Amino acid sequence: MKPKAQEELIYLDMTLKMPFKWRTGEPMGEFFRELKANGKIYANQCPKCGRNFCPPVNVCTRDHSRCSAKDKWVAVGPKGTVLTFFISEQSFLIPTTGEMLKVPFSVGIMLLDGAPVALQHNLEETDPEKIKPGMRVEAVLKPKGERKGNIFDIIHFKTIKE
Amino acid sequence: MHNRVAIVGIGQTTHSGRRPYVNDGELIYDAVTRALADANLSLKDIESVMLGNMDLFEGHHLNDAMLSLYSGAMGKPGFKMNTGGTVGTMLAIQGWYHIASGMFDTCLVIGWEKHDEGPVTPAITTITDPSVDRPFMVGAIGGLATVSIDYMNRTGCKLEHAAMARANASLNAARNPNAHLRDKYSMQDVLNARMVLYPLNLLMCCPTSLGACAMVFASESKARKITKKPVWIKDHVTVHVEYGGAQFGVGEKRWTSHMQAGSTIFKRNHITNPRKETQVFEMYDPFAFAIPSWMEDFGICDTGEGWKLVEKGAIALEGEYPINPSGGVMCTNAIGDSGMLRVAEAALQIRGDAGEHQVTREVKQALASGFGGSYWTDLLLLSKTTD
Repeated sequence: MKPKAQEELIYLDMTLKMPFKWRTGEPMGEFFRELKANGKIYANQCPKCGRNFCPPVNVCTRDHSRCSAKDKWVAVGPKGTVLTFFISEQSFLIPTTGEMLKVPFSVGIMLLDGAPVALQHNLEETDPEKIKPGMRVEAVLKPKGERKGNIFDIIHFKTIKE
Repeated sequence: MHNRVAIVGIGQTTHSGRRPYVNDGELIYDAVTRALADANLSLKDIESVMLGNMDLFEGHHLNDAMLSLYSGAMGKPGFKMNTGGTVGTMLAIQGWYHIASGMFDTCLVIGWEKHDEGPVTPAITTITDPSVDRPFMVGAIGGLATVSIDYMNRTGCKLEHAAMARANASLNAARNPNAHLRDKYSMQDVLNARMVLYPLNLLMCCPTSLGACAMVFASESKARKITKKPVWIKDHVTVHVEYGGAQFGVGEKRWTSHMQAGSTIFKRNHITNPRKETQVFEMYDPFAFAIPSWMEDFGICDTGEGWKLVEKGAIALEGEYPINPSGGVMCTNAIGDSGMLRVAEAALQIRGDAGEHQVTREVKQALASGFGGSYWTDLLLLSKTTD
């Protein structure tokens, strides 16, 4: 006998688990090398228009010039200004590791001193009453031996008073 | 000089959060047959077929191959679009290119998504650079929450105004039988919802829906034979943005793709007062602050005026400038069809065929926008006449 659709719900479970590698490009590699070795945050500079980029770029977003790791680098931060932010009350998958994020966590979009292009990273503060656009923050880095040459060498940005 | 292009057939499925007895092909088939019926055409009248969604959402790469049976694309030219939030508006624009070029007299375009089949946020997150941005990206909502904070900070808009826009959308969706979330909410109901990503609570985020929309585009000579109510695509524009912090519209100098799209369309069509010269706007609004803040960015009103117009009830169905009479993306969001629904609903308003959610003022020109990925904007201007 033909089963009724309501009784026979057919679906197939599937999980895609696909490993990838990502080439950071030369300037980003140099950025992470400096962060790991010397605990410094650097911006690379467009050889044509002189615009600073942190995180660094391979091509200037303004004039399409090619940038390389050999061009001029400028130390920026570690202090900066929060432009905007969000605070999460809900956990999400960490997209690069597959682990769940601990809540609450907050992410700020920041301009580091000396860099005109915004960088995003975690803020230490997670109380919406205590975070305001325009707030001053400073990067907190892992100790040298624990730094691995990735963005998590910066633990978070803490609120500072000036 | 290009040929004139008209929308001559519109079809959509109902939208919902789950429909376990329906597969993706059946959804597409339903939208296609409804669009063909609306145009009073059969598949043999269709010369080219375009299909679009986000491959990764259903975990099915190049699904247009398998779906050609349902879409009606077998043996016909056309291609697949996969541009994120703008898939639907991009499809409409590609339909326009097919006809405007003179290569085809008819083109069927189909946008769809079935969000109940896979995880959306991990898929969206893969659009960003894994070395610096991806670890902090929580799908689409993270960027939208930061834009909301920035908007409140710049203009004095409060959470209450976003809640008003959401409550208004709920009243419109309640009148739209094809919408997904159709419960009516007051401003206070919206403010009481569970916080997800401050400042956006659950009701201030768009849902994940499933559904499909199909439209038939035709050349002028064909369109006039097919229907008494062709809707003309008068103009359209697509704008990309700089990747990185600037995509949030914050930084050195505030500039967004919506700002460039609005000014381009209005300048090119000599529109000086968009709230008068266009009568309705179907805006891709994936979060509750979208309508107040993006009215300003598109140039519908001045900076700081958007939330005041929301407060005055201007965006209501019977208001001075109705926005999203369909309920918008806040109430229905099957991403591959979200953008196309904006174009379809704007066209229905021009035809006067929007039924219960038809706006009270006469619609001669309408705007429809798409939004996706890294603040990629599509903006279309639709018109009742060819002048």
